[in-house]
Amino acid sequence: MALLEINNVSKHFGGLAALDEVSFSALEGEIHGLIGPNGAGKSTMFKNISGFYSPTTGTIRFNGQDIQGLSPSSIAKLGIVRTFQETTLFQELTVFENVLVGCHLEAEVNLLDALFGLNKKVQQKANVHALKVLDFMGLTERKDQLAIELPLGSQRALAIAIALAAKPKLILMDEPFAGMNPEETRQMMDLTRKVNETGVTIVLVEHDMKAVMGLCENITVLNFGTLLAQGKPDEIRQNDKVINAYLGGGH
Amino acid sequence: MLYGHATFHTSPYSLSGLNEATQHEELAVDLFLQSIVNSLIQGGFFALWAVGMVLVFGIMGVVNFAHGELVMVGAYAIWVLKAQMGMGYIPAVFIAVILVMLIGIFMERFLFRPKREDPLGGLINSIGILFILQVVALLVGGTGPAKQVTPAFPGTLILDEFMRIPHQRLFSLGVSIAALLILWFFLTRTKLGWSMRAVALDREAAALQGININRTSLIAMAISAGLAGLAGALMAPISNIYPHMGHNVIITAFIVTIVGGLGSLSGAVLAAFLYAILHTFVTAYFSGTIASMVGLLLMVVVLIVKPTGIMGQRVSE
Amino acid sequence: MNKFNLTQFVVMLTLFIGLILLPHYLRYQHQDFMIFLIINVLVVVSYRLMTLTGEWSLIHIVMMGVGAYTSALMSKHMGVSVWLTIPLAGLSAAVLAGLLSTPLFRMTQFYFLIGSFAVGEAIRLAWIFFIKPFGGSSGISSVPSPELLGIDFMDPIPYYYLVLIVVSLCLWVLYRIEKSRIGLTLNAVHWKAPLAQSVGVNTWKYRTLAFMVASLFVGIAGALKIHYLGNVTPHQFGVGSMVFVLIWVIVGGYNTFYGPIIGAVVLSVLDESLRNLNEYRPAIYGVLLIISIMFMPKGLEHISQGLKDWIKTAKSSS
Ligand SMILES: Nc1ncnc2c1ncn2[C@@H]1O[C@H](COP(=O)(O)OP(=O)(O)O)[C@@H](O)[C@H]1O
Ligand SMILES: [Mg+2]
Repeated sequence: MALLEINNVSKHFGGLAALDEVSFSALEGEIHGLIGPNGAGKSTMFKNISGFYSPTTGTIRFNGQDIQGLSPSSIAKLGIVRTFQETTLFQELTVFENVLVGCHLEAEVNLLDALFGLNKKVQQKANVHALKVLDFMGLTERKDQLAIELPLGSQRALAIAIALAAKPKLILMDEPFAGMNPEETRQMMDLTRKVNETGVTIVLVEHDMKAVMGLCENITVLNFGTLLAQGKPDEIRQNDKVINAYLGGGH
Repeated sequence: MLYGHATFHTSPYSLSGLNEATQHEELAVDLFLQSIVNSLIQGGFFALWAVGMVLVFGIMGVVNFAHGELVMVGAYAIWVLKAQMGMGYIPAVFIAVILVMLIGIFMERFLFRPKREDPLGGLINSIGILFILQVVALLVGGTGPAKQVTPAFPGTLILDEFMRIPHQRLFSLGVSIAALLILWFFLTRTKLGWSMRAVALDREAAALQGININRTSLIAMAISAGLAGLAGALMAPISNIYPHMGHNVIITAFIVTIVGGLGSLSGAVLAAFLYAILHTFVTAYFSGTIASMVGLLLMVVVLIVKPTGIMGQRVSE
Repeated sequence: MNKFNLTQFVVMLTLFIGLILLPHYLRYQHQDFMIFLIINVLVVVSYRLMTLTGEWSLIHIVMMGVGAYTSALMSKHMGVSVWLTIPLAGLSAAVLAGLLSTPLFRMTQFYFLIGSFAVGEAIRLAWIFFIKPFGGSSGISSVPSPELLGIDFMDPIPYYYLVLIVVSLCLWVLYRIEKSRIGLTLNAVHWKAPLAQSVGVNTWKYRTLAFMVASLFVGIAGALKIHYLGNVTPHQFGVGSMVFVLIWVIVGGYNTFYGPIIGAVVLSVLDESLRNLNEYRPAIYGVLLIISIMFMPKGLEHISQGLKDWIKTAKSSS
């Protein structure tokens, strides 16, 4: 069953069509690849799905519900969480606090609760949940370090931990492997798979073809804002249009 | 001499104190025509104030809250040189402009340059300088009533019985427009001007192309301060001179630069004249307080609806 | 950890006892000074809550005025008890902040700074223009002072205790908010708004919350101020006063709860001791501001932080 359905989505910036009538869907439980050369419109697609932009035309359905035009926080409430292209963390907070922010939806408190320390149970639950997520992502030892002090691999793991803390049904990952060495890439692939095995659907934007081909069940290829190809990794690997786009369009 | 300068008094909240003075002066005159003329003259001042702010913001990324105080210093310089020391008006104007330029150069070199990566720091430094300049003015001029300077060009141009323009104001308008034209020529037709515009567009890219950022910033600040000093010197004979006169200048400059599109020089000039018309007419037909309120709310509306201003076009995420 | 909390507790206790005893050893003029200082502490601490979201507003002092005018009008013309108008002053400022947040929070950063200034200045001009309720440029005079069980709060000493109690309560509330999850979320909104949004934080809601709470407390501060002064004028809440708040916060430092308090106290005491410099005092402020930005960008709190670390290491090495 399709969890996420993109129907003829276009996004224009002035005269530029960053996305032009793109359609694809991601099935429940899969890891779906979204690839294409730089400037193809991948990040723009993510911003449309997660509510940071609203599409110029077209619809986005999640779990059978139209979500285009909703605010980022409402979309997060429905269960879609994104990670960012450049590693984005609350650098000034500790690893644990970072994940606690991720538990926002779980443990939001109102002013009175905050003042009189009510709602202890909910807070406790959030703390436990945050620790569980940290453990799951292998960050327990680092929980009191400032986010900014972490090595690259752990920073990326933390970015996913924050997303995971929000208990999403779907995570949009924007280039989580960028700049990693082979060892880090291998660990990150394991983590991604581990997250997926808990039942979370993943849409993955990535340039590292080994990672994409190794992880994804289905792949969508964008080029200059349009849909170029769709299919299984093996089909994509042999698709002439895709090969041309990557070899010819060397920006 | 029909129109003595001594009647020029400012209401506590008129943005430049120019139009209301005229209003008292020529009660009988047709308000509409006269207001148009006043708008033009005031627009020239607004443009001089605002263009300097835009230049510094665009090229250095600094919001200079002391910009109004630079205007004030220009006016005080005229008071000292002309009214106190008896110097001629034109040489006094030159000295005033150079003095304020030097202050601007000092500010760039020692207050803004070290804080280039920290816009809040630069802004706070400018507030510090603002206080200091106000106190310097107090030390120079003492407390007591606002200072006044006799016009250097007495007499009034009488176009018909409905339009009378004191020569001093005509002179101000002419010089303002000339200064703006020279600036425009400099920025669009000279190599230095081109490099300054390049820095305003993208500082890093300009630096990569070998443009000397320190030098451009220094020149931008010198021009900005020079224009402020000139504005002050031109205002001196036709308005009250007091240590806090910069307050009105900065508020107007903000309104004009925001409405015109922060960073757009042509936008600022256009907005300056449009806002001068609006302000003059609302003042003439309602009151100075309402005029200021309208200006502030106009700015808020522009900020909400089109933060890039009427002439802004840069797309921001 | 426990030991450290104990020292903190002892420091707080001494401070509090000192503050309770203090007015009896002061001359009249200094009692006045202390009352305004304590009110100003509430002004800066409530302002800091706003800055937690990363937005620097220039409307805070005008919100103080909103509280002041509300309290003055209600107590003088509607005969409402001052004990009631003080909280209502905070409430009215908070409600106005809520209404203004829709337009204001469409802006961020520099635009917000300027936008908040413009809106505040327009409100202030309205007080000048509408003589009918607000009294125009000369404002409202003979504002009643509170009275309870025969104690006349016109006297500085009872008023000092009133202010001390109210402000302490307000500071406690503000402290609790900052240390709660709400404080954490406000911080998150500040540092990485998009990331906070992506995990479901409604950033607009939290900015509004911070703005409303900050206005609530500064509104109370405004009421406290004018019931002691006995009059309200639009000039008490001009951009000049706002700049002083900024200076206190920046010189004190805004990364800790106590930084702005240090700034307000140190600079106010300095200001008071330079009293005979009269209208030349702003120059001292200007110089201090520049020095602190150039050489001490983290504020006075940084020095005290350094002192604390130093004591800690001294302790652990002994
Ligand atoms: N806010 C924006 N304003 C204007 N153009 C944009 C904006 N965001 C993205 N673009 C343009 O849209 C195109 C797609 O960008 P993006 O989605 O970031 O590509 P990708 O992530 O696939 O590398 C690019 O040409 C980019 O310049
Ligand atoms: Mg991208």
